[in-house]
Amino acid sequence: MSQIPHSQALDEHLQEMVLALHAAVKGALPHINDDPALVDQAIRDCEEILDVVLEGDVASWIGTS
Amino acid sequence: MTAEGFRDKVEAADVPKMDPEYRDLLARVLRIQCDCEIGGPHLYVRNILPTAPTKVDQLIVARTAAEEADHYRKVARLAGEIGVDVAFILSRPNRERYVNAFRGEISTWEDFAVFGFLIDRVGRYQLEEFVGGTYAPLDRILPDIIVEEQGHIDYGQSKTAEIAARGGEAKERIQKVLDFWYARALDMFGSSASRRSERYRYWGIKRRTNAEARHEYMQEVRPLIEAMGLRVPDPSAGREFV
Repeated sequence: MSQIPHSQALDEHLQEMVLALHAAVKGALPHINDDPALVDQAIRDCEEILDVVLEGDVASWIGTS
Repeated sequence: MTAEGFRDKVEAADVPKMDPEYRDLLARVLRIQCDCEIGGPHLYVRNILPTAPTKVDQLIVARTAAEEADHYRKVARLAGEIGVDVAFILSRPNRERYVNAFRGEISTWEDFAVFGFLIDRVGRYQLEEFVGGTYAPLDRILPDIIVEEQGHIDYGQSKTAEIAARGGEAKERIQKVLDFWYARALDMFGSSASRRSERYRYWGIKRRTNAEARHEYMQEVRPLIEAMGLRVPDPSAGREFV
């Protein structure tokens, strides 16, 4: 049972996407009432990032495709 | 090892020396946990993120999905350390998910609310099974994951209560949704006669039998459902496992 070779790269890539999602949400929540454009952009960013996460194209994320 | 079973602490480096049954059960439980963590976002993100009632709700849906993806990541890292590849689980079609509750699609806000209230709660029960368990790396990642899972449960519970409190058609609709997910939630605990459940306990990977965990869950949600003015569904209706 040896470590899966790509697990570290997958972990780092996923972590980056998770951090980007949290940053978008955290940046938008305080501006719900005063900056609708910023909030809309944050929601669009989240949709885009989550599309990539759920597509799960791991080979292209870690450069093995 | 004691008369009750194995209770030593196991680290990743010890796994190759472990009994094959332990290795198989550990690999299986990590795969299923990964599948359930990422299975939720696959159910609701595409339909619910663009249509949630308010922008705050949309952002909370995104944050919930981010946290579930992060839970997947943390468990996937543990799986990778012991040679279990779970990368394919990220893109697996919903119909192939291990657990029935994750095999469909969520397309209404009511379903999203009740999913958080009932199904994420089962998720918390699953995670609590591993608390203090023999696989130490899994035990160590649990506290943060359980706190976030509880946040999803609380949000789902408050949204479910909010919809039920509107009364009339809204209340009838949420009752139907509750009936649907309650059966799936109870099934998530697995068969009461499961031999594998006993072996998980023998090896100290899980704490409770399927029947015990399901019973505790039912005791926990009953007063919560009643407090919303909703009917507790018949626990035998629509079930796959008992």
